[in-house]
Amino acid sequence: MSVLQKSLHPDEKYKAGKLGQGLSRIGLGIAVVFFAISILVVVFSDPETARNAGHVDHATGEPAKWARFLYDYVIGWSYIFSICVGVFWLVLLHHLVRGRWATAVRRIAEAMATALPVVFAAGLVFVIPLVAGYDNLYFWAHPDAALSPTLAHKLGWLSPGFFAVRYVFYAVVFSAMAAYFARKSRQQDESGDPKISETLRVASGPAMIVYSLVTCFAAFDILMSMAPKWYSTIYGVNFWGSACVGGFSALGLLVLGIQRTGRLTHSVTPEHYHDIGKWMFAFTFFWAYTAFSQFMLQWYGNMPEETVWYKYRLFGDWQWVSIAMLVGFWAFPFVFLMSRWTKRIVPSLVFFAVWQLVFHWLDLYWNVMPSYDWTLEVHDKARVSAGPLAGSIAYHHVGFSPIDITVWIALIGVLLFGIGRNLRGNLIPVKDPTLGLSLAHENL
Amino acid sequence: MSDERTPDSPSGDDDHGGTAVRREGPLFGVLAEFDTPGELIDAARKVRAAGYTEFDCYSPFPVHGIDEAMGIRRTILPVIIFLGGFAGTVGGLVLQWWCNAYNWPWNISGKPAWSIPANVPIGFETTILLAVFTSFFGMWIANKLPQVWHPFFRAERFNHITDDAFLIGIEVRDRRFDGEATPKLLADAGAISVERVHFDPSPAVRVMPKWITAFIVASTAFALIPFAVAAKARTSHSTEPHIHIFPDMDFQPKYKSDQAMDLFGDGRENRGEIAGTVARGSLDADDLFFRGIEHAPDGDSWTTKFPARLTINDQLMKRGKNRFEIYCTPCHGYDGRGMGAVPTRVAAGGGAWQARNLVDAGNPVVIHMPNGQLFNTISNGYNTMMGYAAQIPHADRWAIVLYVRALQRSQNAGLDDVPADHRSGMQMPEAPQ
Amino acid sequence: MSTADATMDSHHAEAGKAREAFRAVTRDVAWVAEAPRPHKAWLAALAVSLVLLAIGLYSIYVLVTTGIGVWGNSNTVCWAWDITNFVWWIGIGHAGTLISAVLYLTRQTWRVSINRSAEAMTIFAVMCAGLFPLLHTGRPWFAWWMIPHPNDMQMWPQFRSPLMWDVFAVTTYMLTSILFWYMGMVPDLATFRDRCAARGDKLRAIIYGAVALGWRGSARQWHRYERAYLILAGLATPLVFSVHSVVSFDFATSQLPGWHTTIFPPYFVAGAIFSGFAMVFTLLIPARHLFNLKHIIKDEHVEAACKIMLATGMMVGLAYATEFFIAWYSGNMFEGFTFINRAFGPFWWAYFLMVGCNVLVPQAFWFKKVRRTPIAIFCLCLLINVGMWFERFVIIATSLARSFLPAQWSYYTPTRYDVGLFIGTLGLFFTLFLLFFRYAPVIAISEVKGAMPEAHAGKKHQP
Repeated sequence: MSVLQKSLHPDEKYKAGKLGQGLSRIGLGIAVVFFAISILVVVFSDPETARNAGHVDHATGEPAKWARFLYDYVIGWSYIFSICVGVFWLVLLHHLVRGRWATAVRRIAEAMATALPVVFAAGLVFVIPLVAGYDNLYFWAHPDAALSPTLAHKLGWLSPGFFAVRYVFYAVVFSAMAAYFARKSRQQDESGDPKISETLRVASGPAMIVYSLVTCFAAFDILMSMAPKWYSTIYGVNFWGSACVGGFSALGLLVLGIQRTGRLTHSVTPEHYHDIGKWMFAFTFFWAYTAFSQFMLQWYGNMPEETVWYKYRLFGDWQWVSIAMLVGFWAFPFVFLMSRWTKRIVPSLVFFAVWQLVFHWLDLYWNVMPSYDWTLEVHDKARVSAGPLAGSIAYHHVGFSPIDITVWIALIGVLLFGIGRNLRGNLIPVKDPTLGLSLAHENL
Repeated sequence: MSDERTPDSPSGDDDHGGTAVRREGPLFGVLAEFDTPGELIDAARKVRAAGYTEFDCYSPFPVHGIDEAMGIRRTILPVIIFLGGFAGTVGGLVLQWWCNAYNWPWNISGKPAWSIPANVPIGFETTILLAVFTSFFGMWIANKLPQVWHPFFRAERFNHITDDAFLIGIEVRDRRFDGEATPKLLADAGAISVERVHFDPSPAVRVMPKWITAFIVASTAFALIPFAVAAKARTSHSTEPHIHIFPDMDFQPKYKSDQAMDLFGDGRENRGEIAGTVARGSLDADDLFFRGIEHAPDGDSWTTKFPARLTINDQLMKRGKNRFEIYCTPCHGYDGRGMGAVPTRVAAGGGAWQARNLVDAGNPVVIHMPNGQLFNTISNGYNTMMGYAAQIPHADRWAIVLYVRALQRSQNAGLDDVPADHRSGMQMPEAPQ
Repeated sequence: MSTADATMDSHHAEAGKAREAFRAVTRDVAWVAEAPRPHKAWLAALAVSLVLLAIGLYSIYVLVTTGIGVWGNSNTVCWAWDITNFVWWIGIGHAGTLISAVLYLTRQTWRVSINRSAEAMTIFAVMCAGLFPLLHTGRPWFAWWMIPHPNDMQMWPQFRSPLMWDVFAVTTYMLTSILFWYMGMVPDLATFRDRCAARGDKLRAIIYGAVALGWRGSARQWHRYERAYLILAGLATPLVFSVHSVVSFDFATSQLPGWHTTIFPPYFVAGAIFSGFAMVFTLLIPARHLFNLKHIIKDEHVEAACKIMLATGMMVGLAYATEFFIAWYSGNMFEGFTFINRAFGPFWWAYFLMVGCNVLVPQAFWFKKVRRTPIAIFCLCLLINVGMWFERFVIIATSLARSFLPAQWSYYTPTRYDVGLFIGTLGLFFTLFLLFFRYAPVIAISEVKGAMPEAHAGKKHQP
């Protein structure tokens, strides 16, 4: 531990200037282009693929050809949501434990976290149709769901109206918390008042509690309810682990991108990248730990109501994706991020950051997409074998479509737009009392 | 802690004692003390810059920055630990595969014999265990510890290494060591004192004390005793019973069947059957079925019928044929005429013996025998024929009786007994010449 | 010339103060072991622990010679105090590794005052924990069969069982903790050796010298030592997670409602850290007071620990809330019944004790006044330990006492041998801890020195 402090380099460029606007424009451009491509693909695609996957408009009998688009939208939205969530955790933890190393990058993390209002606004694209009666996104919104006794009791909770109310609640709470921490941090730029750090430290405790609850329940609502008959208590924690991998990777890339524009070149050193890499490593392991816990316990207990979810992911087409995740999201980065050097040498860290960002998306894709193929057979009114967790293994195939990627990229554009809007003023908390320690930070 | 900045006056390099009372052994090295960690680092840098390699810094805690100053190369211990951990992973997984999936696969609640998800926890623990062992033992070995004695311990100053002192020690065996220049370098680097450290004058002190050697030898010998005893036991024979430390209900105070027992006068555990009793399920009251005897008001006779509980059908006939062929044909033959394998063999040996002809129409004793009597013969034997009661259950014996009746009919049948539609396929024997 | 001399004098004075600070640390810690007669409180505590230990030994004797029937375990409630105690003790052990390893990795230097005692506590806690799975087998003399060894029956352990995973996990944890603790102690044992040698206490000098392996503080040796220490800390961190996760697998791999739930692994780990910290401070708060160590085990350190307890207590609370929610969400009537039964069934009293002590009690740590009042912290830590014991008991006993077949429902009452064995493990733990406190370096002397500002004395500041 070093008591050494450094002051901000006199030549350091730490003003955002036009950076935020530039990023927003790029983001908006990406979003517009890729949404346009996605829409065109859907418009010109064969609607029967939707019918073959069990997505039919209940009223008209027409195939619901926008179903896959909305599924991809939920996946992409969860992706950008999770990145903001992961990064926000760093902000909260940093304040809670009076952290030192992260001060130099904290303002950028705050900028990412405060993209949440934009993210939640973008999410309305799937929430509003749901409330308006679209029943081909979540099975619990479909009329057949009421026929199943195991689903019937939870349809009060899993109803479009209550879901939307909770969505708005998550949006308000998350956005307010992120905004509070960012605003107070900027206030400190003016006054340098150390009491602000103290206020934020005191606030971070309750904020952590609210954060944990809201993250878990958001994961339950938006992702776990894709297969409404299935459940897992660790699901929220697993989502959070994956979110933090994505969040730290994205933070590393964004900080590097900012440095490439000539800003913060003296302040952010390989020491900081090393620490970001350590968190990427730690959360890669933590994700694997929670994912394995969930899998192994449900495999071992062998209870059909739980294993049915894994049935579609471990056999048939999806087994290859599962293996790819085991090797790609865990084994390969884990082994290589163990070493000091892969974290300190910036090109190597960039490689792993991009790699993990891709695999984080794949994790969400793997969580959601096997539930895309619905079975709508009703055997008799009392016993229904229907919904996403029904049908043969072959029926749940990896029906890859270009919009899986284009919608994802479009939503990344939305995130960049949201972040760009917050990259203004100082890119570093210039008067934070711990800044000196952060700038002098050295790893053993 | 003294304030002097000049080196101590030497007490002599070799065995020639100077003004000191005691003689000193050869010079081992020079020890310089510094006030603060910062000065230690600066001095170390200077010593390294001067080209010394056989030197070391001593401190009560690791001083950060000294590694670069001394030019200490990064240890490869992490690589070795990684390999150790990897060996642990492989070892753990192979162990579980070999034991549970290869050598003796068990079906445990339907899980596959090689259950990879179930093998992960132990595989993880063995990884950590082996990595930990590699770290721990690897580090001590790399540090060449335990090494309970080092010549620098002779310096009184060195005692403070673990308390508050910061020392640099340069050893004589360094190529650049010079009796004058080296202490001067250290003094100029800011040492608050410089001291020469000599080996102990008596060489005997540098040797391991005899009692320690004896102790090690003795304790190793003692430690080997259990192994020797075990080895002897594994390779020798004994008529003594095993030493039973935990009885485990292996020796139970009860009597086993037909043991000798002195509680009764006849010395037997077996008290025999109690008169007038029959074992449960052994009453066998139905005389007709169990003995072939029919009771009538005018007396008992062999029954001419079959017991009512048996259904006379093709299945019973087939059973009878099957049993006859197993038990009866060795003597009576497949045709029941009495020249089975045993009489044939007797004849081949020059003797002459024949079993009873069961189907002889010329001497129809057996043909006229009632069913019950046939049953009785099968059960209890006749002349040289033993009784088959122990081998053939009652129902099977009745099945054999049924088959014998069929044999008797078939072996004495005429052309008229053959159904009309079968006659054309028959081969007629040639007429005798 | 005089100014140079004056600078030199003030420099020496400063250096002198720094070195005096180091010597003070050595003295203050070594005093505990070097006092000619032990402190009266220590003797009294040792006497009490030995009595408790004797009760435990007698309970073990009766258990081994008679059988598991002397416990209150029954056909339905087949696991009760035995497994509760096992999990409780292992949980307590986790704090030590967390303080040593995780706080090291996160560069929390305040750990140096408490890590040695905490590591010792881990080892003693794991020893106590290990007794229970060993004894609850009923025929512990066959326990060696759990280690795979060549035999002529092709009898191998059933590695697919979580109980086997426990064997490997707890053994690994035990060995790792011992090695890590010992490695950390070697420089301090060398300190004791040198002090004994300086005083002329030859016997002690030889004993300490032997276990100190001849450590001489060489920088080259420190380099490898530090690297290995860092790696061991890095290995111990996933180990800590894995051990309590494996212990949670004992329950979660089953199909019992209330046991079979995926959140158990991280929930148990958080609970373990929670109860472990509570036990560490139950011991250290009186110890720092009695042995005048308040300037090393500072108030800020105790306060930091309170915050950790609050955080982990909240994680446990989050797990309770999630389990409750999913029990309803799942629509599984057995799961739903289990949770209602916990609160309103025969063990309702244990449930409310658990919720009260685990969720409500740590809320007091929000208040700085509480965090700075040692006596309050001591009482709260005791309550937390009680609460965590009841948490394990509630999980085990309620699910077993009211499982699938109503004809099998029963109640559980402990017998004197259940209680005696538990008391005995408390006695074992405290006896070992008191002996450690008296004879071993209870604070990591070299680490404390390295963490003091004086450790950077004389260094030139970098531009």
